[in-house]
Amino acid sequence: MHSIFRPPINWRHRRFRYRLVVWRCLNCGAVHHNATKICRRCRSNRLAEDQLPSRARLLTYTVVKNPPVAFERQAPYIVGVVEFEDGTRLLTGITDCEPEELKPGMELERVVRRLTEDGESGLIVYGYRFRPVLKKR
Amino acid sequence: MLKGLHVDGHASLSTSVDVQFNTFIGAVATGCELPGISGVSIHGYGAYIPIFRIKASEIARVWGLSDSELPVLEKAVNSLDEDTVTIAAEAAGYALARAGIDPGRIGAVYVGSESHPYAVKPTGTIVADVLGVNSRLLSADLEFACKAGTEAMQLVTGLVASRMIDYGLAIGADTAQGRPRDALEYTAAAGGVAVVIGRSGDGAIADFEFASSYVSDTPDFWRRSHERYPMHGSRFTGAPAYFHHIISAVKMVQDEGYSLGDFDYFVFHQPNTKFPYAVAKMLGVPAKKVESGVVCNVIGNTYAASSMMGLAKVLDQAKPGERILMASYGSGAGSDVFVFRVKEGVLEKRGLAPLVSELIERRKYIDYSLYLKARGKIRE
Repeated sequence: MHSIFRPPINWRHRRFRYRLVVWRCLNCGAVHHNATKICRRCRSNRLAEDQLPSRARLLTYTVVKNPPVAFERQAPYIVGVVEFEDGTRLLTGITDCEPEELKPGMELERVVRRLTEDGESGLIVYGYRFRPVLKKR
Repeated sequence: MLKGLHVDGHASLSTSVDVQFNTFIGAVATGCELPGISGVSIHGYGAYIPIFRIKASEIARVWGLSDSELPVLEKAVNSLDEDTVTIAAEAAGYALARAGIDPGRIGAVYVGSESHPYAVKPTGTIVADVLGVNSRLLSADLEFACKAGTEAMQLVTGLVASRMIDYGLAIGADTAQGRPRDALEYTAAAGGVAVVIGRSGDGAIADFEFASSYVSDTPDFWRRSHERYPMHGSRFTGAPAYFHHIISAVKMVQDEGYSLGDFDYFVFHQPNTKFPYAVAKMLGVPAKKVESGVVCNVIGNTYAASSMMGLAKVLDQAKPGERILMASYGSGAGSDVFVFRVKEGVLEKRGLAPLVSELIERRKYIDYSLYLKARGKIRE
């Protein structure tokens, strides 16, 4: 079984998956998506909860045509790397668009989508994806 | 955040319950009337429509049927990564953006739908966590066919009016099911609408002036447990079901002292393009007072969101001081009716989230094969 289908792991990571709630090191600025007491980069114990912004810039992307287990039905789908204002980079699924609509540097916004499910009887996993901005500021 | 309801002592609680019980029994004997609502307003509203559309003519083509007199032009289709949870969360996010309040002040999240992703595990708690709403919260999933969303509005208005909560979210969202080749396949669509309801005051978008409901045991449409698709009574869904319940609900508004001339907009549940205009004609309402809220022709029937989508579209264009009558319809059957008075807040808030017209314009057409994939109908 994919670990994300196990209830404790699904539950523990939900705030990061739903709202990009992270733990930021107040010493070196490193961002951790799991709750942690020690910064994995500088070993500082000065960490605080933070939330990444809802918008980011697209750095690069690719199209997945040979998907891993649990994502077979969604192929082909787009996976990309986005960068937030503070320089934090995130690997993410990109939705609601075709690859030819994407250009590096364009602004994307976070949405919560149904990522995968453990068959017809197991847990459904929800989490972030990014899409072209629906309403410009 | 949810506030406690204080009761002075056991004796007073018993007396209160007895009084309420006797009142209820008496009300049943004489015809139950829900009380009018005062001091409660819509502070935010948000709609969400998935990006995919399929034309009704494409569905007709696949089944070799005539494409004349189709019930809608096209309908909205959720993608593989969308369901009632994601649609409800997106609509609610827009409603909170318009309301301009911290999610922590929300004291109730009710989600009405007939396509909750889980049979047992609430949609509302997932939506609340996605939005960052405080866990001191009332939450439940509601089901009453296409009026489950307005049922959520009834509950939240009651909680706000009784001051148990400051603000509550009422959401109607669906990814409706239609059996392949059934008449419902042309119209069963996906979409969601949320409203933030709170005490009247500065920034209100619309005040509730009246709310009530009319229900009866009418078997026009149903889905049994473990069944993938609903069944319906074809023409029986018309006169004894949709038309009787909506007309009866509107009559309750007239009994309250309103005349139909008092309203600038009428929003009716829209299972197809024909029905809202037909019920308007029966009531003697001009078609131009209905058309502002009709969206079914271009996005289909979004079920629990259907009448709320019409309300959102009307709020996108209404002027302060105008009055709206909304009557939903849910099979099984019932109609919730509301009277709203539009307030100044609508002018500054409507631009804070996408308009319904913008969501309608944002679309990508898919053919029937991609529709089957998007709806998860391709199985190994």
